[in-house]
Order: sequence, then structure tokens, then C-alpha cells
Amino acid sequence: MHFLRLIATFLKVNLQMSLAYRSEAMIEILLDLIWLGWELLSIKIIFSNTTTLGGWGQGELITLLGVLLMVNTFMAALIWPNTENFNTAVRDGSLDYTLLQPVNSMFLVTFSRITVWRIGDLIIAIILITVGINMAGEVTTPLNVLTFVLLTISGANVIYSLWIVLIAFTFWFTKFDNNVTILQALADTGHYPATIYPFWLRFIVTFIISIALATTIPVQALRGELNWVQILTFLGVSIVSVVVASQVWRFGIKLYSSASS
Amino acid sequence: MLRIYRRMWQVNWAEQWQYRANLVMYILYWIVQPIIYIAVWTSIASARGSVSGLTANDFITYYMTMLIVDQLTSEVVIYIFAYKIQDGTLSGELIRPVHPILTNTLMNNIAFKGLTTFVLLPVWTVLFVLFQPNFASVTTANILLTVPAVILGFTVNFMLSATIACIAFWTTRVWALYRLYGVPFALFSGQFVPLQLMPKIIEDIAIYLPFQLFKYFPTQLILGKLSNEEIWRGYTMDIFWLIIALILFRWAWRKGVKQYSAVGA
Repeated sequence: MHFLRLIATFLKVNLQMSLAYRSEAMIEILLDLIWLGWELLSIKIIFSNTTTLGGWGQGELITLLGVLLMVNTFMAALIWPNTENFNTAVRDGSLDYTLLQPVNSMFLVTFSRITVWRIGDLIIAIILITVGINMAGEVTTPLNVLTFVLLTISGANVIYSLWIVLIAFTFWFTKFDNNVTILQALADTGHYPATIYPFWLRFIVTFIISIALATTIPVQALRGELNWVQILTFLGVSIVSVVVASQVWRFGIKLYSSASS
Repeated sequence: MLRIYRRMWQVNWAEQWQYRANLVMYILYWIVQPIIYIAVWTSIASARGSVSGLTANDFITYYMTMLIVDQLTSEVVIYIFAYKIQDGTLSGELIRPVHPILTNTLMNNIAFKGLTTFVLLPVWTVLFVLFQPNFASVTTANILLTVPAVILGFTVNFMLSATIACIAFWTTRVWALYRLYGVPFALFSGQFVPLQLMPKIIEDIAIYLPFQLFKYFPTQLILGKLSNEEIWRGYTMDIFWLIIALILFRWAWRKGVKQYSAVGA
């Protein structure tokens, strides 16, 4: 309850901040829509040359695009702005103020910046997912939808944990501004089913930089391709990764020795 | 003049070395996309034998060659130059008797290229081992024929981006503009697929636009996929767009400098 109230406060503050940059937000939204148009065209181009991509049809790729858009929204609304905030805070020592507050530091570092207007992208994402499922003409049971939702959340959780670990590395190697580039660079792999990638890349995007866990895997669940053992494993991985990440964070924060003063 | 360029080179080369750790990350960014496209199209091509006459090997060689071509023809003008306009550091360069973009920024771009090459080469070799492409269609003559295309491609690309960077003299939203500038690249440069796989209308427009000159044209030239007629057309477009880009840049620069308000200085 306490945390929810804090998030509400953060949302309010960030909304006020972003209202100062309304036209910037409008331009960004417009650009996002243009790029979305390109993404859809690129799917169309692929399927004007083939009927399936690694067993996936056009509708499934649109669903996947919707899921990726959700993951990207999560990153653009929360992860990127807070990374920037965090890197500056470590560099100039203002992280001190965060640590002094009587709230979990990982929580504060995660939620202090929220790009509020990005949340509108979720509507587009849901439209894409729905349209995609309809196009694929697959019969989705309520159970499949439920596992889809669960696995999307747990996939996002894994990416979040990975992010915490990456930015916690900053405590070890002070000058580490590029901490999240690897996450940004590999996010593009989410456009296509991970099954078409060569083994080594599939391994990386599933087990190391786990983009696939939040994109390909949930869509596979929606198609009913996963069995119970797999689903439980992915949920377990998600829980374990959060625990590991918060431990890494705790160790890291002990190393923090502040800058300047 | 040559001495000035030598000096600028030394300064920028040394400066780039400071950021060598960033480079590894930057290169990672760069190679992920071609790898994804290789995976997509080889998956389709091997399932169907070929895609509009293109085999899996055609796709692998296409994207791997483009990785090198892109390294040579791409530019980083906006990242450096638009910042200089916005934070006012351009002032110091403006009082020098040489053109800031055509000396300092240009050398900075080339130094950046020099350094990224060090990182790209081993990565490219690893990709070569992983994908085992067959580059039999590449001849020495083709490579020699491509050299001018690469130089022209870089020049046109550099001048056009410098023109866009000049817009920072008027507006602070130059970054949004730069993101928009990425759209015609996606559509017309051939970075997503060889242009013949694009919808007919896009392919027809693309050959008259500058974007394919930076990626598609030099790549296909090295791979020996172009007819004599297409080569002539490509080079004609190179010259045409070089003239247009120079005129645009000259105009934007002259107007822009007058507009410059030296923020922070």
C-alpha cells in the first residue's frame, strides 16, 4: 500500500514535469507511429516472399510486434529514463539523497522517473496483439491467454532484473555509462521468433540477455506450444532472477562511496 | 591546408581513443541488425530453395558486405555537430580561419571510422566463420570499381547529414528530425532487403534517391550483381546528389551561421 502510494506520487510529479514538454511528446508520438508503420510494412514485405517464417505466419508476427511494443513501452517509460537518472546520480554523488530516504533504494531507483505519455503505446500494443491473433485465426483458450499474460509479466520481470544487475555493475566499475546499451542493442531481436536464430544467438537472447523470454515465449504460450513443465520453469526463472538481482543490488550499494564532497 | 588536416586528424584520433570502451558497445549495436536479417532471410530462403532467385548465400553475402560498406559510408556528424551548436562550443571553432565542418568534424568522422574498423574486423571474421559465406562473385575489378562509389557515398551522406545538423541553428528539435531522417533509410537504402524484394513502387523511387548510394549500390557493386547500365545509373546519381548535397549544405551553413546565437558563451 505504501509503495503504491509512492508510485502514485511519482506519477503525479512526472506528469507535471512532462506537461512542460507537451510538443516534444507530440513529436515523439508521431515519430513512433511512423516507425510502427514501417514495422508493419516490413512484415508485409517478408510475407510477400514467403508464407511462413520458421512456422509463424503474418498474424503471429503482428502479435509478436504487439508484445515487443509492450516490452519497449516498459523500457521507454521506466527503464531508460531511470538509467539516465541513475547514471547522473552516481557520477555527481546525488545518489546519496536517494539512499538516505527511508524507502527501499532499488524501488526508488526504479520508479523515480516515469515517462507518463508512453503509457498510451500500450493501447496500440493491445490492438496489435488482438488483430494479430484474429489474423492468425487460431483458437486461443482462456487458459492460453492467462499463461500468455503471466509469461509476459514474468518475462518483463526477468528483463527488469537484468537491468538492475547491469546498473548495479556501476558500483563496481564507476565509469560504466554504457551499462544498458547491450539491452537496447538486442531488443531488436524481439521482432522475430527466436526459433529462427542461429543457436548461439538464440542462446544469448534466451538465457543471457533474455529478450526472448518476454517476446517469443509468451506468444508461444498463446499458440499453446508450451507444456506445463516449460511454463513453470519460466515462471520459476522469473522469481529467481528478481531474488538474485536484489541481492546483487544489496552487495553493490555497500560498495557505493559517493562522488565529490 | 594539408597541415591543418594532419593536425586535426591527430587531435581527433587521440580524442577517439578516449572512448574506446564505448566503441565495443557501439559496434554491438551495429552488427545485431544484419545478423537478425541474415537469420530471417536464410530461414526463408532455405525453406523454399530461394526467394525471387536469391539463395541463402546471396543474403548472407549481401548483409555481410553491407556491414563493411556501411562502416565506410556512414557518418556521425549530428552527434558531434548539433551538440556544438546547442551548447555553444561552436563559437571557438567559428573564429578559426577554417571551416569547422569540413575540417574538424570531417576528421572526427574519419578518426571514428578508423577506430571502429579495429573492432569491426575481428567481429566480421567471427561472423565469417559462423555463417561461412561464399564470396566467389567478388572480383578485384569489382572492388576497384566500388572504391569511388564508397568515397562518393560517404561524401554525399556526410554533406546531407551536415545539412540536417545545420537545422540545429534554428531549432532544438534536431534530434526528432534525425529520427525522421532514419525512415527513408529504412525504406530506400536497401538495409532491410535487397531493393528488388521491396514493393515495386519503393524500388522504382529508391533508385533516384541518395539513400541507396550509401548501402545498396556499393554492396551490389562489390558482389558483381549489377549490369553495366545499373552501374552507370548509380554513378550518375552519385554525381547528381553530390551536387545537390553541396548546394544544400552551402546554403544551410551560410544562413545558419548568421542565425547562430552562441548559447552559453
